[in-house]
Formats: sequence, C-alpha cells, structure tokens
Amino acid sequence: MAESVRTSLATLKDVAGIMGSFVCLPDGRLVSREIPAVFDDGVLEEAGSRFVRFREAFAVGDDDLEVGVIRFRDHRIYMKVVGTGMLLILAEGDVNMPALRMAANLVGRRIAPAVALAEAEPPPARGAPASAPPVRSRPAEAPPGMRRFRGRAV
Amino acid sequence: MSAHAKGTGSIDDEDVTAPGVQPGRAGALGFRARLAGIGLWDLVQMECLARSRVVVLVTGEGGIGYLYFDNGQVVHAVTAEQIGEPAALEILGWTNGSFQPCDRPWPEVATIATSHEALILQVAKRRDESSNLVAFPARSAPADESLEEIEMFEIEEEGVPKMRTPNERELPSAPPAARVESSGGDFSVMLRLGAHGEILSNSGGSEELAETAAYVRRLTELAGELLGIDGFSAFECTFKESRCFVFVESNGDTVLLRPRSETNVQALRERLGLL
Repeated sequence: MAESVRTSLATLKDVAGIMGSFVCLPDGRLVSREIPAVFDDGVLEEAGSRFVRFREAFAVGDDDLEVGVIRFRDHRIYMKVVGTGMLLILAEGDVNMPALRMAANLVGRRIAPAVALAEAEPPPARGAPASAPPVRSRPAEAPPGMRRFRGRAV
Repeated sequence: MSAHAKGTGSIDDEDVTAPGVQPGRAGALGFRARLAGIGLWDLVQMECLARSRVVVLVTGEGGIGYLYFDNGQVVHAVTAEQIGEPAALEILGWTNGSFQPCDRPWPEVATIATSHEALILQVAKRRDESSNLVAFPARSAPADESLEEIEMFEIEEEGVPKMRTPNERELPSAPPAARVESSGGDFSVMLRLGAHGEILSNSGGSEELAETAAYVRRLTELAGELLGIDGFSAFECTFKESRCFVFVESNGDTVLLRPRSETNVQALRERLGLL
C-alpha cells in the first residue's frame, strides 16, 4: 500500500521545483514518502505531527483546513488534507503554484483510499520504516510530536 | 467578472468588436459554463494552466480587448488603443466584465514575451501604488510616528468592535491619512500579535483565534527547522468555508487576516510570495 502511494507521490515531481512529498496520519504516522533520503522517517514524522497540530489548532475554532501554503525564504510547503491524513509537499520557492495545486489535487484523490486504509491499520511496531529504510534510526525516546529538539524543549 | 467556458454552441452575448473583427464562435467540444464572481486573473491562470491555444474576448469597464493564449502563456493582446503587453496590462487591470472565447485571426508573431504571472504582478503593483494607503493593523506607536506604521496593504479597516484582552495595549487611533472612507472592509478579521504573542490590535477576531495564530506560527517555524528550511514569512490556509493569511513582519509581529469571501486576494498573495 505504501508503495502504491509512493508511486503516486512520485508523479508530483513532474512539476519542476517539487523536491519531494510525504503523507502522514493524524497520529503522526508516516504513510509513505517520496523525498530525498536526507530527510529520515523520524524527521518527517516529527514535522508531520506539527502540521497535524497546525490543522487541529484551526479546527478548535471550527476552521476545517483543506489546503495550506507556507512560504519560507527559499521554499514552500504545500499541505493538503486527504481524508484524515495530510499530504505534505516540499517545493522550491519559485515552483509553479497552479501546476502544483493541480498535481496535488490529482494525487490527493488517488491516494485517499490508501490513506483511509492506513489509518484503519494498527500502528506498526516502533522503528518499523514506512517505506524506504531510514538513513539514521530515530531515537526510541523520540515519538512523533517529540517534546525536545536539538536539546531544546519545543 | 463573468466567464463563458469554451465549449459547444454559440456565444450568447453579442461580440461587439473593433471594425474588421470576426464575431467569435467557439465550436470545440467541451463544457459550457457561466461563472459569476470570478476574478479575471483567475481565469487567465486557468487558461494558462490548461495550456490552451485560444483567443478570449474580455469585456470590461475599459471597453473590449482580446487576450491570445498559447502554450500556457499570454502571447498577444489587443485593446481599442493598444497592442501587445500594454494591452494585456490594460485588460488585466479591469475588475468587472465578461470573458469568453472567440475566433480571431492570430498574429504572425507573438507580441508578448512576459509570463502571465509577471503580467499579473505588474498589474497588482500598479493597483497597489494607485490604491489608498490604509492602516491596519497598526502597531502601537506614538501619534507622530504612526504614519510610518501604515501598512501598505490594500486593506480596509473594519468597523467591528474591538475585542479587548487584559494584556492588550491601548492603541492610538489610526492616522487620518490611513482611515478608510468606506464602511465595508476586505477583511472580516485583522489581528496583530507582538513577538511574544500579545495582542497589539484586533478587529473582528477572537482571543482564541489570536492564540491559534501564535501557536501555528510557532509550529510552522519548528516544522521548517526540522526540515532544514528557514525564513518562514507567511502562510495561507483555505478552509471549507473561508480562508486566512498569517504573515510575519520585519519587526517580528504576526498579522492574521481573514478576507471576506468576495475579496480579491491576488495582490496580497503576490506580496506575501504565495502566488
């Protein structure tokens, strides 16, 4: 299942400027990834769990997030809610946004059933990779939504 | 701006064109649609995204004009008095009208090399430069310095009573030059938070929304840090029934804007690098 999602995610790279993407569940679990190995699974889960909380924070005020575009100096992150999960796309700052939106819509539709199935499954044992093997293993004491980062409380 | 999608059948509206121009007719297969309340820029982007080769008749407050689309770009434009890029800029500056495909002879060479995004950007800048300077959400400042705090956004101040919180500072009234004459604003919520999350000014927002803005800004910065990308500056969220923008100013303040559904947010997106 993760492989089929990964295949769909790979199609996003048809849009110039898209560096990679990943899909995470409300509990922070990584469903699949198609992003350079420099981002290990642990990092993606931790980042993903923050985007999940981002969504939840707005939901408190009855704002039901569908899409988000975050602008950084040289990059963008595109968030698209897919069922209960979230598709996250990392792109360069000058990516063609209309093309990215369309590609994300198509991929979102395609992966929605797999995301729903993934959420229905019990969480895998700690340390099990979602797809590609991680570059470095995630510390056992750092679950998704970790409380410390680089020695700082976050 | 109303739009007629490409499709079968004849164009209902009379094609009032310049002398020598063939009335438009779209004979290709496809859907036919009537859309209201759509921005011209959105329609242009849709045509470019579809990489259509089509001529579109735009009827606006400035008269009529033609935009020639090919391979994802606007390659030619004509109005009553202009041709090429000046004509495209003139047309893109119109805010009300209709947009429908038509048959027109194609020019032998393209007269526009500028991308459609750059054209829209130019028009957005022109609009900004010609628009009234409007203040909100003005940061607390002495009255004589407040002019420097005018936000250059095309924002209209809303007449909604302010929410006050215990830690909210007393704000000076907006400078006269920054006041908006119209009673309706483009934004239903305008909220400014200080670097430490304190509410500096607020119009239409709740304390809970202020807390949300402060929290999601922090989450976004942390997620960016994890992914090795820095320089968070802004985000746009599209919700089921609304949208909001949050951006960081050079002084560290966080500003949240919730546009009304009918507000054209293209210029704001452009300024925030979200287009």
